[in-house]
Amino acid sequence: MRAPRTDRFRAGIFHGLLLSCIVISAAMLVTLLLDITLDGAGSLSFDFLTNSSSFKPELAGIWPALMGTLWLMAIVTLFVVPVGVAAAVHLEEYADPTRWWNRVVEVNIQNLAAVPSIVYGILGLAFIVRGPLSLGPVVLAGALTLGLLVLPVVIIAAREAIRAVPPSIREASLALGATQWQTIYKQVLPAAIPGIATGVILALSRAIGETAPLIVIGAASFVAFAPSSPNDVFTAVPIQMFEWISRPQEEFHQLAAAGILVLMAVLLAMNSVAIWLRNRYERKW
Amino acid sequence: MLTQVAPRVVEERQTRPSAPVFALEGVQVLYAGVPAVAGVSFELYENEITAFIGPSGCGKSTLIRCLNRMNDLIASASVTGRVLYRGVDLYGDDVDPVQVRKRIGMVFQKPNPFPKSIYDNVAFGPRVLGAAKDSLDEIVERSLVKAALWDEVKDRLRSNAFGMSGGQQQRLCIARALAIEPDVILMDEPASALDPISTAAIEDLMLELVEDYSIVIVTHNMQQAARVSNRTAFFDVDLDGGRRVGRLVEYAPTETIFTNPSDQRTREYVTGKFG
Amino acid sequence: MRERYQQELAALEQAVLGGIDMVVGQVDRVVEALVHQDVELASFVIADDDRIDGRYLEVHQGILSMLALQAPVAEDLRLVAALLPIVKHVERMGDQCVNIAKLLPLSGREAPRSDELVETLVRMGQFARSEVVQCRAALASRDAALAEDLVARDREVNRLQREVFRLALEAGEDYETREWAMHMTLVARMFERIGDNAVDVGEQVAFIVTGLFREFSDSSAPYSPSPG
Repeated sequence: MRAPRTDRFRAGIFHGLLLSCIVISAAMLVTLLLDITLDGAGSLSFDFLTNSSSFKPELAGIWPALMGTLWLMAIVTLFVVPVGVAAAVHLEEYADPTRWWNRVVEVNIQNLAAVPSIVYGILGLAFIVRGPLSLGPVVLAGALTLGLLVLPVVIIAAREAIRAVPPSIREASLALGATQWQTIYKQVLPAAIPGIATGVILALSRAIGETAPLIVIGAASFVAFAPSSPNDVFTAVPIQMFEWISRPQEEFHQLAAAGILVLMAVLLAMNSVAIWLRNRYERKW
Repeated sequence: MLTQVAPRVVEERQTRPSAPVFALEGVQVLYAGVPAVAGVSFELYENEITAFIGPSGCGKSTLIRCLNRMNDLIASASVTGRVLYRGVDLYGDDVDPVQVRKRIGMVFQKPNPFPKSIYDNVAFGPRVLGAAKDSLDEIVERSLVKAALWDEVKDRLRSNAFGMSGGQQQRLCIARALAIEPDVILMDEPASALDPISTAAIEDLMLELVEDYSIVIVTHNMQQAARVSNRTAFFDVDLDGGRRVGRLVEYAPTETIFTNPSDQRTREYVTGKFG
Repeated sequence: MRERYQQELAALEQAVLGGIDMVVGQVDRVVEALVHQDVELASFVIADDDRIDGRYLEVHQGILSMLALQAPVAEDLRLVAALLPIVKHVERMGDQCVNIAKLLPLSGREAPRSDELVETLVRMGQFARSEVVQCRAALASRDAALAEDLVARDREVNRLQREVFRLALEAGEDYETREWAMHMTLVARMFERIGDNAVDVGEQVAFIVTGLFREFSDSSAPYSPSPG
């Protein structure tokens, strides 16, 4: 009872198409990684990591930019996780979906996730660096701007994670005499942590590479020291790389490639932490 | 000589009701203004198992959820009439549904343990109620013993609840409900997702628990109602001017419902002549 | 599993066994009354039959309830189904004791006319009693062989009945003696009926055990007259 030949043929073609898509994507990724590594690996050294930028390529380092990026990521995390999760909890558990204002909020969150990042830069400049908050072009301002940029991503991911918790769990909890808040805090959120963690990974991965908004709000490209508080001026790795690429010397281009490797290492480290957190909570299931 | 003896013997077989736990007066449940169950008035008694039976759509699940205000979770549902629990109207203005559910527990059709350990499942209710930390071990053990599950799980209390069979999970849900020491236990088709052996275990458990608790059970399995319940309420769907509304048709001791029902519709349902 | 069901089933069986015990007691009393011409004991037997009737109604209702509520199957179903005719036979045996008791005062307050006849009757009564005890044992232990053995015992009771009939014919010529003798044949008939009912109970026990219903002895067999 073998499948007829035309069916097998079609299945084979389809399978082949899918396979080739994967191969092409993987090949592109591998090519990119190889290219960068070949370009930049030679410049990686302890000095590179600890020096500040300079006009001489052999003395230039990425330390202030790296510290700037790490500061930014830390503050962004501290900002988006509570705000994003709280917003998601409100929208999923408390808001009445039939009310018009709640529907407006829903639609807008989807839109905000698609707005070009430079618009957030302008928003940050107008309201955070100058305007009402007037923080100046400091780390905190950069982090808040980036945070607003990636907040919709976190909210959407957290909402999906909360929605994925089966209603039967909520029913069981309520039937035991727990209040709605107790149910959310003790059952729904712990169960949603893996999904929320994924959302945070996505958000940070996006934020770490954003250059345009930081440039608009005034992150410096030549800063000799790492920020020591949220109120310091700062630079970030993408900005540093952009600055180096703009210089004529070939050595600086290689330094930029090394910077990319550093950036990717930081990204991998952050993601590993988030994945570890996700696994830790998933194991309890 | 036979006929002189007859009435006395038959009368002794009728169960004498104890105190009423619930008294429903003209209870009606509406979804978005459309009545789903109407005109229900009857009493449920202490330390008895009362079964709600009837064809699908007759409103038995809807009604049982009124007894612990779980219908509140459905936005479009509203309840009129009075649902008196030991004299207090559960739908009164100053009644908190959370307090209601601490006294009237519920077990659902599909076993729904929390994605936590067996211990944490049973301890959840007491923890939420503010029980002292050092009393939890004892509460967990006592509840699992009452649910006839202790011997099977006592060596793996910290293991995941999902590692158990369906029947064990359902008994865990019962233990979880017992841990908050309710007065009444509501069961919405507790065994319909289980195999016959697990069903028999749950039924045996019900017969043990009824000595300390009052139990109300919804079941689409008539035989189950016949086996375990003291009193049975038969509901049916009325086609009331084109709309389908559930109504209480007959409420009597189980033996009467299954040996000599008074209403024609009850007779047809229990003999299987329709749906 | 199903503890309450097991308990109820066991209680139903115990109720029937208890009813048989009551019958044994009635037979004992009736034989005693026969031997001593005890009219008061006879009227006690008549009054006490109420208990057996009550037991019958209880068991009848219990069987209905068991079938409706517990849906027994296989051997449990055979047991419950068989208990209905069994308890009916028990009730009939009780009625037969009452009939004997009713006949006793009619036999007059004078000493019986034939000692031999009375002795035979007493032996019949004791045999009938032993059959009732045996059918109870067969039911309690589900012993089909013991049940079948009742047929053999019952033949003895039938033989004794024919003996009583013969002795009655020879009892005497005067009116009172003949009247008394006729009543005694009726008493013998009642004892014989008790024996038949015990055999019927045995048939039901065999049904419970084997699932097949078989009449041990066919009552339509030709009547064989007493020898001599």
